[in-house]
Amino acid sequence: MDVTFSDEQRDLQRMVRDLLSRESGEGPGSAIWKRLSGELGLTGITVPEEHGGAGASSVELGIVLAELGRALTPVPFLQTAVAATVLAESAGALAAEVLPAIAAGELVAGLATPGPESGHPRGTRTDQVTDGGLALDGTLENVVDGPYLDLLLTPAVVAGETVLTAVRTAAAGVASTTLPTLDRSRPQARIVLDGAPAVVLGDAATVSRAIDLLLTAVAVESAGAARYCLDTTVEYLGTRVQFGRPIGTFQALQHRCADLAVLVEAASSTAWYAMWAVGADPGTGGGSAEVSAPLAKAYCADAFRKVAGETIQLHGGIGFTWEHPAHRYFKRATCTDLLFGGRAWVRALVARRAGLA
Amino acid sequence: MDLRFSAADENFRAEVAAWLAANLTGEFAELVGAGGPGREHEHLEARKAWERRLGRDGWIGLGWPESDGGRGLSWERQVIFYEEYARAGAPGRVGHIGEQLLGPTLLMFGTPEQRRRFLPGILDGTQLWCQGYSEPGAGSDLAAVSTRAALRDGEWHIDGQKVWTSLATEADWCFVLARTDPASSRHRGLSYLLVPMDQPGVDVRPIVQLTGTAEFNEVFLDDARAAEADVVGAPGEGWKVAMGTLAVERGVSTFGQQMGFAREFEQVLATARATGAADDPATADRLLDSWMELQVLRHTAVMTLGAPAGTTPGAEANVAKLMWAPWHQRLGELAVDVLGAAGTVAAGPGEDELTPAQQLFLFTRSDTVYGGSNEVQRNVIAQRMLGLPRGPV
Repeated sequence: MDVTFSDEQRDLQRMVRDLLSRESGEGPGSAIWKRLSGELGLTGITVPEEHGGAGASSVELGIVLAELGRALTPVPFLQTAVAATVLAESAGALAAEVLPAIAAGELVAGLATPGPESGHPRGTRTDQVTDGGLALDGTLENVVDGPYLDLLLTPAVVAGETVLTAVRTAAAGVASTTLPTLDRSRPQARIVLDGAPAVVLGDAATVSRAIDLLLTAVAVESAGAARYCLDTTVEYLGTRVQFGRPIGTFQALQHRCADLAVLVEAASSTAWYAMWAVGADPGTGGGSAEVSAPLAKAYCADAFRKVAGETIQLHGGIGFTWEHPAHRYFKRATCTDLLFGGRAWVRALVARRAGLA
Repeated sequence: MDLRFSAADENFRAEVAAWLAANLTGEFAELVGAGGPGREHEHLEARKAWERRLGRDGWIGLGWPESDGGRGLSWERQVIFYEEYARAGAPGRVGHIGEQLLGPTLLMFGTPEQRRRFLPGILDGTQLWCQGYSEPGAGSDLAAVSTRAALRDGEWHIDGQKVWTSLATEADWCFVLARTDPASSRHRGLSYLLVPMDQPGVDVRPIVQLTGTAEFNEVFLDDARAAEADVVGAPGEGWKVAMGTLAVERGVSTFGQQMGFAREFEQVLATARATGAADDPATADRLLDSWMELQVLRHTAVMTLGAPAGTTPGAEANVAKLMWAPWHQRLGELAVDVLGAAGTVAAGPGEDELTPAQQLFLFTRSDTVYGGSNEVQRNVIAQRMLGLPRGPV
């Protein structure tokens, strides 16, 4: 057993952290996106080398995600990198076609928000589209990074079977409406499919796998962000002076920070376990990827919310200002918890997969 | 990063499981599930014999260096041993204080002579130890120790009172933190003395707890004696010795503890299903939280305790304690809640006749107090791990 990062992994972590502390930007038109994707090839970090990727493991992907969580850089990395992993695993014609463009940062891909099957688009097999293709009908709400997406992966129900499909958003029959969002670092769209052409990437197991990868990525990002919130709060308590001494000397505040530290350690460990598990397939039971993925998302999003809320409180008045970054983390935490299936759905998934429900 | 046990380690797991299956039979069959926190008073004679059986077959001191009689096994194999031990329902150890506290202390601070004298008795399960740290006036504030010891005629003469001493009625020896410099205060001037329990100056009185049972004791020291040589570290350096042990305690046994927690959870879940409580959405949510947090406990233990020593902020055991103690307490609450009104009926008329659910419910109130209260754990995490500045105490 080895719980540590390799030297190369630590180098990657340092490089991404340095980059994100120096540069920012928004969306796939930004310079930071070009650096992360095309220049460093991180959008294709898990993509096999024959498709233009780096062929790295889920752990390397996690390292980048945790850093993006710390910095809250508003680029569609999580969605694109997860979609790339799903596409690479599907190993179909579409993967061969789009993966080099994803790795180069020229194509943004992402998954529709998971949720109950009743919300899935309905698909009809049709010859009018492409050979063996589908026409999809349905409305996808709260598609994360929706306004940026060139390629949308969504579950669909075709002839009573759940399948994972891919839709090019530029196609006829796809209408995307940008939604104003509470978390301004992560846009959303409502995407209406009206006979939208789609191809099938895999069956219900592929849908489950895509959801596991997405939820795990979200968990690691949340854990990274929560750790940043704790770090910055502890730093502030060591410098802010009231009553003639740093407020970090007060036991009431120390104990609250200790509770946050426990949450952050727990969330981080749970997220990393899940991230390792989705790449390593550790078998069945409580430690399986299919249980640890939704569990990590549920736990880490909740922990992030608590830590981000306390970050505002422990910063006092300054934490309530627009200028201070605390609100951005608080909003990201809340939206993370409510999106990607939402609390209740994700918890129900854990219960079902763990045999508790 | 690879969070899997190796194939060789899994073979070791099979070896441990086979040994346990073969040995938890006959005279030891009655010990399955006995002992441990909340049940420390059960089957003491048989558990002492079991300790000797463990020692005979080399299952004590797994992580100790081979040069000191241990087996020098890796962290992973120690974890596996504890997991299998708990999975088999093997009894709460009576030798764990010697194995996990005194032994490592001697390995760090003991002279070669002390290690030769005391380690074999721990390793073969024949000598049991208890811990003489806490006092009525020195609980969370351990540096307030007021038990005094003075060297006269080649012997330490010890006077004072220790409290919350588990297994003091069974122990052969006690490691005692005592003030040997009468002019000293706080953590200076303390010494770490090894005191035989079987002597006129030592009087042990059980403390009846709110569970009606007595697992902890008071130990009265009235001119108790210890040999001059039986001081670990230099006289006056007892604080450093006592704290040094706590700092290296990585909490490998926590994995076995979690296996026990999982068994308890399964019992509560089965009860909740049988009574129909599991159909209540609020209760189902609590059960799910409990199960999820148990997985989180394990992931956190793996990631923090598995990290190489010296690469972490050094408060892993404190983080683990602050996670498991409240978790266990909440499980105890669930255990009686899922029974509803039936949970209020005791097993019998005696003060100590509790149902297993009531036993879990009541005993877990101590989890957040013993071994450093939650509040002390938070102080340590805030100051040692987060580096927040110490304030006026």
